[in-house]
Amino acid sequence: METSRDDVGIAIRSAFLRKGTQERFSLLILVILSIILLFLETAKVKPIEYLRSFIRDTVYQSSLIVSSPISGLKYISHEIKSHANVFKNYNQLKKEHEQLKNKILESDFLTLENTQLRKLIDDQVKSSSNLVSSRVIIDKQSPYLNSFIINSGSNKKIKNGMSVLDGQNFIGRIVDVNFFSSRVLLISDLNSKIPVVIEPSGHHAILSGKGKKEPILEYLPENHTVKDGDKVYTSGREGIFSPGTPIGEVVFEDEKATVLLFSDLSQITFVNITVSNFEQDK
Amino acid sequence: MAVFFKQFKNKLFKFIPLFLLFFICLTGNSVVDLNFFSINVHFILIYYWVLRQPLALGNSYIFLSGIITDVIMGLPIGATSLALLIVAAVAAYVRVVTVRISLLTDWISFLPALLLANFIYFVALYYSNYSLDYLYLFKNSAFTFIFYPVLWAIFSMILNFMKS
Repeated sequence: METSRDDVGIAIRSAFLRKGTQERFSLLILVILSIILLFLETAKVKPIEYLRSFIRDTVYQSSLIVSSPISGLKYISHEIKSHANVFKNYNQLKKEHEQLKNKILESDFLTLENTQLRKLIDDQVKSSSNLVSSRVIIDKQSPYLNSFIINSGSNKKIKNGMSVLDGQNFIGRIVDVNFFSSRVLLISDLNSKIPVVIEPSGHHAILSGKGKKEPILEYLPENHTVKDGDKVYTSGREGIFSPGTPIGEVVFEDEKATVLLFSDLSQITFVNITVSNFEQDK
Repeated sequence: MAVFFKQFKNKLFKFIPLFLLFFICLTGNSVVDLNFFSINVHFILIYYWVLRQPLALGNSYIFLSGIITDVIMGLPIGATSLALLIVAAVAAYVRVVTVRISLLTDWISFLPALLLANFIYFVALYYSNYSLDYLYLFKNSAFTFIFYPVLWAIFSMILNFMKS
């Protein structure tokens, strides 16, 4: 019995402490180093933050280079598919074009009226100068975190918490800023909670990410009048995001108010980050 | 010329596990995520090679690949490397205590490695205030275990190439 326990001890020691001929570190040292790194993750010390930014920027650039053949293949396959669908799309677009032409006059009037009303309620009307445009460099969706990397960082005055738009639609916020890159946490992520307002009922709620599924509306009042097709906008209640940025529309599924997003989060190449509004609000 | 070519080929095959390790982590394919299931290729790769050919993957490389995966996936730096090192430690332990290695013994011993690594992973993410989809993590563990023989067969083929 004693011998057996000794054997186990020797085997564990061998597994954790033995080093190969060309190895510098044993498993135990590296395990301890990993635990130290995990604790350092919460440290808000400038040199450590600089080191972290440097590591992240380096890894993102390396990843970009290594992934380029795969990205190239994906691009070629996408191009081939889109060429194959050209004729089908043409007829559909022609029909849509006619319908849109009819709506333009009506929408011009509504835009004008909307701008005037926003001014009246002291809302911030966004201008293009408030936005910093960035390209998505790594959009490999992590199974644990719905996010992507953009090619703007502290070099373009990007800060944590800034809202990220796809065109005019809200899609997420900045959660991690490096020198030349930043991470955008998408509204579909489990960690994302955004205060929103639902129109036309005017109810406030929290838009909560659900991973791969559509985000849902939480903390709606008990006797709410929200129905299918109602539009969801940022409420701007916490003071970080501008109010009135469109997000999506309500769809009820099994008595749960889910939100069908205006933007397809898997198809985003360029994003806009609201910089000036954030600085003014801060 | 033939000798040089043979030496070059041998060296090339020697680096295949290392190349695979860094390729999957740099391209963000550590976890192959399909519609109905997901497989943690990273765990299987490290377990197999540490068990079968420990010189092919050094501890430092495993640690570094974990750091890269954390950065790419947006997780706290150190979480994945800790889980991977645990997998490597269990594989090293199994290597010491096992006399005859077969698919069945590999497969069965992979289960505690997988569960321990995912538990460490879960604890690390939980204490870093990351919300997790527990069902996803469970499904991932189950399918990683189920798919182990498939990757075992592929890696065994590569190992045979290396040895031949």
